Amino acid sequence: MSNYSQWVQQKLRLGWAFLAAGVIVAAAGAWIGSEFAYLPYNFRIITGLGILLAGVGFSFLVRYWHARKNGAEARRVSAAERDERMLLIRARAGNRAFWVSLGLTYTGLMWASFAANGSLPELSGDTLWFFLAGAVLIPFIVYIASIVRDQNRL
Amino acid sequence: MKNRLEELRSQRGWTQQELADQVEVSRQTIISLENGRYNPSILLAFRLSRLFEMPIEDLFLYSPEEENHE
Repeated sequence: MSNYSQWVQQKLRLGWAFLAAGVIVAAAGAWIGSEFAYLPYNFRIITGLGILLAGVGFSFLVRYWHARKNGAEARRVSAAERDERMLLIRARAGNRAFWVSLGLTYTGLMWASFAANGSLPELSGDTLWFFLAGAVLIPFIVYIASIVRDQNRL
Repeated sequence: MKNRLEELRSQRGWTQQELADQVEVSRQTIISLENGRYNPSILLAFRLSRLFEMPIEDLFLYSPEEENHE
């Protein structure tokens, strides 16, 4: 077996491990939530974590499955993964997303500071939730948009 | 940066994918290199130089004016 095929097999094993862990964690979250519903905790967060892990595992399997028995395809997938232009594009996207994330976090921090001394209104629970969701989502959107843009430009 | 990749690749009858496989990059990178949109790392430049058996300066055509526009 070539080094490239071994590398693909390793990625597939990782995918299966994530998928299995995700299913176990999600099932555990659902079971605990139904058996211990009287406890004042929201166990959906455990189920959500399980779904996230399973999703990561599934994405690994989808990405590397077609290359598992084809040496040439394994080599191609490996080259695409380590492709220097793609690494540059991802690094640039990450850099842009980082600055956007920093800007949003700093804005939130400043708002909280000004709200504490009465200069700005306090953020309600819902508004805070939407702000935090935006602080996660907006840098992610910037990251994806930057990758798409640079793939066309570089 | 301008280069002679497309010309040299065509002379050898290779497809973009075949060239990409030989220097272990994606086909998109070869397309970008040939269009002059992307400048390779020194390692990739050396790999291409060895593959085509010619000095880097003959493969990639450096011009200071172009650098000022980047």
